[in-house]
Amino acid sequence: MKKRFDYGYLIALVISLSVALLIGAGIIAITGRSPLRAYGALIDGVFSSWRHIGDTLEYAMVLCLCGLACDVGSRAGIFNVGGEGQLLLGALVASRIGTLMDGVTPWLAIPCAILGAVAVGGFYAFIPGILKVKLKVNEVITTIMMNSIAVFLCVYFAKGPWKNSVNAEGIIVPEAYRFTTLIRSSNLSTAIIISAVLTFLVWYILQKTTKGYEMRLTGDNPRFARFAGIKADRLVIAAMVVSGMMCGLVGMFRVYGAERIFKTTAVSNEYYFEGLMVAMIAQYQPLPTIIISLIFAILKIGAMGMQSVGVPIQIYWILQTVVIFCMAGEKGIRAAIRKAREKRAAERDVLARREGGTANE
Amino acid sequence: MTDEIRFEHISMEFPGVLANDDISLSIRNGEVFALVGENGAGKSTLMNILYGINTPTAGNLYVRGEKVTDFSPKAAIDRGIGMVHQHFMLVPSFTVAQNIVLGREPKNAGVLFDNKKAEKLTRELVKEYGLEVDPSAEVRDISVGLQQRVEILKTLYRGADILILDEPTAVLTPQETDELFEVIRRIVREKEMTVIIITHKLYEVMAISDRVGVMRQGKLVGVENTCDVDEKKLASMMVGRPVLFDHLEKTGTPGDVAIEVDDLYVADNRGLPAVRGVSLSVRKGEVLGIAAIEGNGQSELLEAITGMRKINRGHVTVCGTDATGKTPGEIRALGLSHVPEDRLSTGVDKVASVSDNLLVGKQKEKRFNLFGFHQRRSTVDRYAEELYEKFDIRGAGIHTEVGSMSGGNMQKVVVAREFSFDTPVLVISQPTRGVDIGAMEFFHTRIIEQRNAGAAILLSSADLDEVFRLSDRIITLYEGKITGEFKADEITKEEIGLYMTGTGEGAKA
Amino acid sequence: MNEFTWTNFAKIASSTLSQMLGTATPVALAALGGLMTEHAGIMNIGMDGMILMGAFVAAAVSYYLASAALGILAAMVFGIVIGLFFALFTVKLRSDEFIIGCALNTFAMGITAYLSRSLFGSDGIRGAAYLHNIHIPLIKDIPFLDNVISGHSLFVYLTWVLVILMWLFVYRTPTGFWIRASGESPETLRTAGKDPEKMKWVASILCGVFCGLAGAHLSLGKLNGTFVEGMSDSRGYIAFACVIFGAAHPGKVYLAALMFGFFSALGLQLQGIISSDLTEAIPYVITIIMMVYVVVSGQRRREHLAKQQLKKLELK
Repeated sequence: MKKRFDYGYLIALVISLSVALLIGAGIIAITGRSPLRAYGALIDGVFSSWRHIGDTLEYAMVLCLCGLACDVGSRAGIFNVGGEGQLLLGALVASRIGTLMDGVTPWLAIPCAILGAVAVGGFYAFIPGILKVKLKVNEVITTIMMNSIAVFLCVYFAKGPWKNSVNAEGIIVPEAYRFTTLIRSSNLSTAIIISAVLTFLVWYILQKTTKGYEMRLTGDNPRFARFAGIKADRLVIAAMVVSGMMCGLVGMFRVYGAERIFKTTAVSNEYYFEGLMVAMIAQYQPLPTIIISLIFAILKIGAMGMQSVGVPIQIYWILQTVVIFCMAGEKGIRAAIRKAREKRAAERDVLARREGGTANE
Repeated sequence: MTDEIRFEHISMEFPGVLANDDISLSIRNGEVFALVGENGAGKSTLMNILYGINTPTAGNLYVRGEKVTDFSPKAAIDRGIGMVHQHFMLVPSFTVAQNIVLGREPKNAGVLFDNKKAEKLTRELVKEYGLEVDPSAEVRDISVGLQQRVEILKTLYRGADILILDEPTAVLTPQETDELFEVIRRIVREKEMTVIIITHKLYEVMAISDRVGVMRQGKLVGVENTCDVDEKKLASMMVGRPVLFDHLEKTGTPGDVAIEVDDLYVADNRGLPAVRGVSLSVRKGEVLGIAAIEGNGQSELLEAITGMRKINRGHVTVCGTDATGKTPGEIRALGLSHVPEDRLSTGVDKVASVSDNLLVGKQKEKRFNLFGFHQRRSTVDRYAEELYEKFDIRGAGIHTEVGSMSGGNMQKVVVAREFSFDTPVLVISQPTRGVDIGAMEFFHTRIIEQRNAGAAILLSSADLDEVFRLSDRIITLYEGKITGEFKADEITKEEIGLYMTGTGEGAKA
Repeated sequence: MNEFTWTNFAKIASSTLSQMLGTATPVALAALGGLMTEHAGIMNIGMDGMILMGAFVAAAVSYYLASAALGILAAMVFGIVIGLFFALFTVKLRSDEFIIGCALNTFAMGITAYLSRSLFGSDGIRGAAYLHNIHIPLIKDIPFLDNVISGHSLFVYLTWVLVILMWLFVYRTPTGFWIRASGESPETLRTAGKDPEKMKWVASILCGVFCGLAGAHLSLGKLNGTFVEGMSDSRGYIAFACVIFGAAHPGKVYLAALMFGFFSALGLQLQGIISSDLTEAIPYVITIIMMVYVVVSGQRRREHLAKQQLKKLELK
């Protein structure tokens, strides 16, 4: 449906961010640093060099794609919590394909790697999808379990049979296949162009197409969707699989674009969960997802800069989660206010009706 | 006899719904009081106020002469009020005894729950009231009838002397119902309890109650001594509407058979038989009305025909093609549209716009799609705007959320969408429930328009006047079986009431 | 391990089982808390964060006050605070349980690492007062058993007591009944005159306390007074899996924790033959299979019940 811009939401976001920065300042001050200098370093950390701007954009890209992947599932009424596993397995398989095809022209190898990542991500999402639709097994719990399984599998393969680096763990992707870096020595690669296209595509499909429309109906009221003749079950599974495919692709981007080597925790340190939180506080709307991804990316890369004035980088997680707590709580507070208002209105209504009634008599 | 309970000008408003409208009612000590009315008439709301689940928006409640100020189940229990809800309030994984003592557990040494004592107390209650049930069985493993006994025992354990039963027989077999009534009579006679029973089965009112109150659309429309009324009178109080309409012009003659139902068996949500061997047919250009008191299988029958519910036995044919076991989408493709009974759960997407809701089912049509993919929003909106005008939907335009609209306008959205398919078959359930008189007239005109244009219409309504006004033929359903079939102009409402309540000629007495 | 001998086998077996006990204990402690929230109908995936913060608080307090007991106490008190915080959002403000749990985990990673680095430097906390391992006198002379059971931190034995206490609490006290009812059928509890939300608060607080204990065990029991960044190491998720696997029954949950511990210990023993990463993944696979089984058997049960009623009706 057509939504006018929600100013209440924007205000809540600004307030949440301010609260986070204030609390962050408090913590920085308590541990004996100057908050002003720290936040100055944050800004410097992002905007003082092109390299950092590149890293910021790359991180925002990852969060945004993960968030949108979550959107795709949620839109049809299935909550994909397993993106972390899908992402990692996608990255793992893509890296392996890269080493196996070493020497083949990039024009063949890269599409193969993409295909592999997308396929494995999609398959890994298909399992919880079909379990939910056919057997009504809670997809949140199964995907959480599958995340852990994926991490173990990745560590196993990267340390064991597929290892090709001198370190304890790592699958090196051949140089020829790596995405071209857009800003020298930054993580930003041509992957962001594909990501931008993909973001647009997801936005387009969810908002502007008939399929997106059917997904929305299914997510809102599955019984109604079935009543109206939409193949709801199939749509839910498809949405989940597409969500998994996107996660697999992000994994591939992480390795071919930024890290160049598959190492489990370097490829993703629960990045999907950050993206998922972005999606949730963006209320599954694409534009806010992009904006909040950028904000979080700035906080993260900025936090690296803050290390120069002695503030540990983990301040990033603190700032980020305070924003999330505020946004999550804000919804509840707003709902409580609305409920109280409705009750008062009902009382007024009944009294008015009664007075009107006696006046007529 | 003294007044045990007194409602004084009680009103209860939920967002957008006035569930109880200025109700004043006294219930006497030691009587069985029946409260009847169709679904949504406000019976349960009123009783939830008595049990402290709802706090009334306005008005006062007195229990044994004392004004109630604290509305909570706990306070109600302390006042000696017990309630057996329509949806049982039981913890499935607990045993019978554990459910009965929940909230007031017997304790061992002041700390630990004393299971033995709980079972002993249960056995004592079982013996005292003759409600046989195994105290150590888990509730999820026992039958619905037994679960209800547990509910009653629970209220007795808490020392209730006022017992509210919300639709107690809806889930019971006839035999279980008889047993329940025996228990009610006994506790009233021997323990001098006051019992309030909510129901819409009229023969039960006659069988068990001393007095009866009838509710309609949130209002109390009458209180009578049961011995002064009969089922027909109650039925007309329950479903009748006072306003008389103009005559509707019916034209044309019936054509080919469009819906054919053959020996259909369908189960309800609990897996119990709801439709038992129903056969019927509807021709093009006629309206077949189903007259039945709520809960006699009409909902399940229509859901089975439209593919929303599994068919256990028998066949459904729509426009000459076998529709048995097909999905709702496939049956729609055969040429059927469906106005569902419960628009909120089945008929709309509450959080989507009017425009989106009007489009559903047509979203794949060429004119709304560019390259079979891109949704042509402006065409969709123009189309929605058209229907919006045509069906006189009143609201803040096609972009409003459907959930924020009034019941009547929401129903217009549903009817506009379903009628716009122009299918040869229409299945319509409760077209005017919760709709004001003006809108009702509008819907009736539309339905007859469709009929005159040659549609086969299967109509089910709780409003008997509506069934009479619209139908060419009427069938009566009672306990999942057809008890009679009539031409609408050859029978009176009074006569049909007999068949609806299973007492008609040839039906079981 | 060239040649198979029974003595060798016993040695390996006893050290595997001993490791299993050690690995299972922190998970089991957290899972005992997690089963409370599970019973109360709250999906709690924030346990990892609760453990991590518990570990930090215990280590820090023990470091400054030079008392392991005070450290443990502080972790438990802190657990109450975290439980209140969790309930404020999930129960009072009705925020999504998932996002709050997620955010709690991330927040814990951030705040503990931040404070540990700013206050103790990049190595984390070292040399806090810790709990010494206990050698049980009675079974000292029983060869195999001594190796398995003796020589653990106090927490290992405390967990056994807590499993029993928890079982008593959940299945044998009125409050336990109310907490279970608050999750399974909150309206039933409300009509019985008890507030289901209050029960959810209680469950949440208890969960915080147990996770605090689990954390204290990690830093003061298992690692002899050290705090390392991220030391909860996904144990919260394992605990969550145990709760699901054990159907929130304290005894079964403890067994589930032992199973996770066993596969982890087995992995260490079999190093060189099969990677521990593969063996450690096995319990998760089993948990998913269990979930499917539980759901399917539940559906069968309902169908069976309906069929029985149908038969009864037809007879009449």
